[in-house]
Amino acid sequence: MDFITFENVEREYHVGNSVIKAVDGISFGIHMGTINVVLGQSGAGKTTVLNLLGGMDSPTKGRIMVGGQEISDMSEHELTTYRRNKIGFVFQFYNLVPNLTVLENVQLAMEICEDPLDSKEMLIKVGLEGRLHNFPSQISGGEQQRVSIARALAKNPEIVLCDEPTGALDSATGRKVLKLICDSAESMGKTVIIVTHNALIADMANTVIHMKDGKIFGIQHNESPKDAEEIIW
Amino acid sequence: MVRNSLFRKSIRDMQNAKAQFISIFIMAALSVTIVTGLDSVWKTVEDNTNIMYSATNISDMWVYVSNPTEKQMWSISRIQGVEHAEKRFTLNAKSDLAGRPTLKVYAFSSQSALDRPILQQGSMRSKSGVILDEGFANKHGLGINDKIKLKLNKKWTTFTIEGLALSGEHIYSVKGTTMIMPDSSKYGFMIIHEDMLKGIYGQKIYNQISIRLSPGADASEVKNEIARVLGDDLIGTIAKGEDSSTNNIYANIGQFRTLSTIFPLMFFVVTALITQSTMFRLVENQRGQIGVLKALGYSKGRILWHYTSYGVYMGGLGALTGFLIGPVFFTNLLIPWLQLNLSSNQMSINYVNLAYSLLLILACTGGISLYAGLKLLKDTPAFLLRDKPPKEGSHIFLENLPWLWNRMRFSRKLIARNTLKNKMRLLMSVLGITGCTGLIVAAFTLSSMVEGIARYTYGVTYSYDHKIILDEKADSRYIHNKGLDGTVQQIKETAIEIIRPGGIRTMEQLTIFPLHSPLIHLQDVDGNETHLAQDGLTITRKLAQTLGVKVGDFIELKHTDKSYVKVPIRQIIYMATGQGMYMTDEFYESIGETFKPSAILVKWNQQPDEAFLASDYVDEYVDRVTQIEDTKGSTQVVYIAAVLLIIMGAILAFVVLYNSSILNFSERVRDLTTLKVLGFYQHEIRALVLTENILSVVFGSIFGVPLGKFIADVAASGMNDQLDLLSHIPFTTVVISGAITLLFALINNSVVAQKMRSLDMLEALKSVE
Repeated sequence: MDFITFENVEREYHVGNSVIKAVDGISFGIHMGTINVVLGQSGAGKTTVLNLLGGMDSPTKGRIMVGGQEISDMSEHELTTYRRNKIGFVFQFYNLVPNLTVLENVQLAMEICEDPLDSKEMLIKVGLEGRLHNFPSQISGGEQQRVSIARALAKNPEIVLCDEPTGALDSATGRKVLKLICDSAESMGKTVIIVTHNALIADMANTVIHMKDGKIFGIQHNESPKDAEEIIW
Repeated sequence: MVRNSLFRKSIRDMQNAKAQFISIFIMAALSVTIVTGLDSVWKTVEDNTNIMYSATNISDMWVYVSNPTEKQMWSISRIQGVEHAEKRFTLNAKSDLAGRPTLKVYAFSSQSALDRPILQQGSMRSKSGVILDEGFANKHGLGINDKIKLKLNKKWTTFTIEGLALSGEHIYSVKGTTMIMPDSSKYGFMIIHEDMLKGIYGQKIYNQISIRLSPGADASEVKNEIARVLGDDLIGTIAKGEDSSTNNIYANIGQFRTLSTIFPLMFFVVTALITQSTMFRLVENQRGQIGVLKALGYSKGRILWHYTSYGVYMGGLGALTGFLIGPVFFTNLLIPWLQLNLSSNQMSINYVNLAYSLLLILACTGGISLYAGLKLLKDTPAFLLRDKPPKEGSHIFLENLPWLWNRMRFSRKLIARNTLKNKMRLLMSVLGITGCTGLIVAAFTLSSMVEGIARYTYGVTYSYDHKIILDEKADSRYIHNKGLDGTVQQIKETAIEIIRPGGIRTMEQLTIFPLHSPLIHLQDVDGNETHLAQDGLTITRKLAQTLGVKVGDFIELKHTDKSYVKVPIRQIIYMATGQGMYMTDEFYESIGETFKPSAILVKWNQQPDEAFLASDYVDEYVDRVTQIEDTKGSTQVVYIAAVLLIIMGAILAFVVLYNSSILNFSERVRDLTTLKVLGFYQHEIRALVLTENILSVVFGSIFGVPLGKFIADVAASGMNDQLDLLSHIPFTTVVISGAITLLFALINNSVVAQKMRSLDMLEALKSVE
């Protein structure tokens, strides 16, 4: 059985007088513990998929199930609880709290969830043991993204959602970040969904969902996904 | 047009940050309203008083002396510094109107040049006609040709009212010891022709000399010369300014002058801080735009003016609004409550202070905006066009206190770091809250001080049922033999001339009663029970301050018909009202005077002796309950002031808290969104932004208490020279003021929380800041 399912999900936005369908009746399923990529050009609707899955937005039509729970009809408060306990986010621009140190940024996330992992350990795992007491502004972009990954994983979520995690990084750093996401998720048994416009990243995924104009035009399963370090762009 | 497009930009920028710019406008308007308003209150009083003083040709000095001889008059007119001297007769007399109100009667001759009334209606046409106090006439429904009966020289005489007038000596019109605040229905003045005195007293009599000094004359020097000329005949001299009317007017003027200087300061500072936080943020957010403008070739001056203009527009507009509202609002609201009988309430504006406040407000708005612009303008366009360097976090001092820091939750740490990083914002809100709490504390303290007058005087000091002013024919023996059914206390109240250390002469109230009085309970300045000194003078705290004397100093008292006697000050007491000197009857007799009661205080065993009260031996009487009611009624101005203070406090609190919350929120939208995405609940996020306000309330409330006490003290000091108001602030006042301030903060927080609800998670995460 699929861990995550989208059934005929639609999301409309009203912009002025016109109605834009960001996601237009999509259906797909994702297995637990896999690495998945949603691929598409900007405007394809892939970020909307991520937002819907992350409980930051609700569909106008259709049903979204996660681990047997329907999240598409949850209240705002329920969605927050869902985000709290089930979801780890990694953003393109890291979104660290500038006023907190590296360690504190990770502890911040742990403070609110049910079953967190040790924050220091997580930071050591992402290779930042020497940066624990630095503020985000004092470290590089790649390092900031690693903090962001540590923050996402320390919550011990079931699903890790990444929105263009390499978008603001150079390719070498990006590759390292991707490897970190995949390796940690794999070892911890997390389900990972990466949204990107970078087709090369798709090679490392178990499943690739191709999107265009709010619709899915193909779902591709890789029998043997590449290691992140083998990807070149 | 270049200019137009920049102007349009500034209008749109202001629309985008409506709340902040409206706040700047409100604070600027409020600052200028208060300055110009309070200023024009005292200026209006001062100008109109001076108009009346010159219209009435008011004397510079009045000498109390019984029937001065022609030789004495001649000698006085020859004194260096005396320009003109004339005799007159004046006396308090009872009228036959409801409540037996007292009129101060002045006898004038057609030659009288000083202290002329300002006729409002009619004129004195006949020798039996009188001119009556206009306010008094209005209160009693009297008009021209109406009759009024007065008891003069133990006989009732009927007069015809031929004119209504105002007097320079009765602008602030209080009778003396039985009255605290002016009340035109109970006290007024009346002018009769001096020829009428012959019919009443059998001869022309005089008891005062009015004196006009030549410009630059030394009043106390003249007083000494007069004392030399009149010798033992002198009863006393009062210079203009020492009389209760002028004294109270000057106190009012001084009070509003002080308030108009210190009070608005807080509002100016808050205006500056709000402008600072708004403009620094605006300019910082527009660094790219400044870069573009520079790259396009706009001159430095033009860009600077563009940003300065934001403050100038708001400050200028606010100042204009404040100027339009302040004087009209404050003079109309407050001057009537001062209960002054002025011939005109023509509003005066203090243009000097208006100019200062305008400059100050422009410095607080435009000046700060200019400074904000300067900060960025020195960078090159290339640097400005690049992305803003990321916001820096920094360690704060709390981290050096591991026992505290390690125990704090992360959300608390976040609040602490954020709050301490924006010290100006914190300063702004703490200052605003300090002001708010201060105003509320002042409001409550003022009201309780004034309530305390009645409570203290008629609850603690005196425990009589009736205070009865005796007719001259009633003496100690009569009262004793009368055997009234109750506790009776004879007292003597009189005004005597004194020479204080340093040789300055003034007239002060002297009250005499026995050492142990069952109806008078004195307290010292610390509130402990005490008695009169047996071997010297006891004086009230406020009089001691006015005279500049302390225990151990000597004062010379003028003997009746004799020379001076030197007595020591032995005791200082606290009296809420009725400032003056006190001594025992035994001490009074020991300095060679005779104790003859002028009044008695009575606590009845059963019903009051109505027959006695209605008898010829009683001149006037008042019961304690009425005195309490009168005192409360006449001090209602304080409640108006209190409401005004609380409203200003509320505005201050809302403006600063709303601004600081919105700034705090919008500066951190991105962080807050991240937290929201991480799964923080709405109430947790709200706490992150709004806890800072509660912090400001805590600190502000603490600082607000002394400020409130200060404001209350200044406001109370000028209220009335007979009142000594103690501003001790009970703990409940502090708690209530804090609670009200907290309530304001909570209202603000819920408004801001509504705004925060609309936080769009998706938007804020999309772009790099």
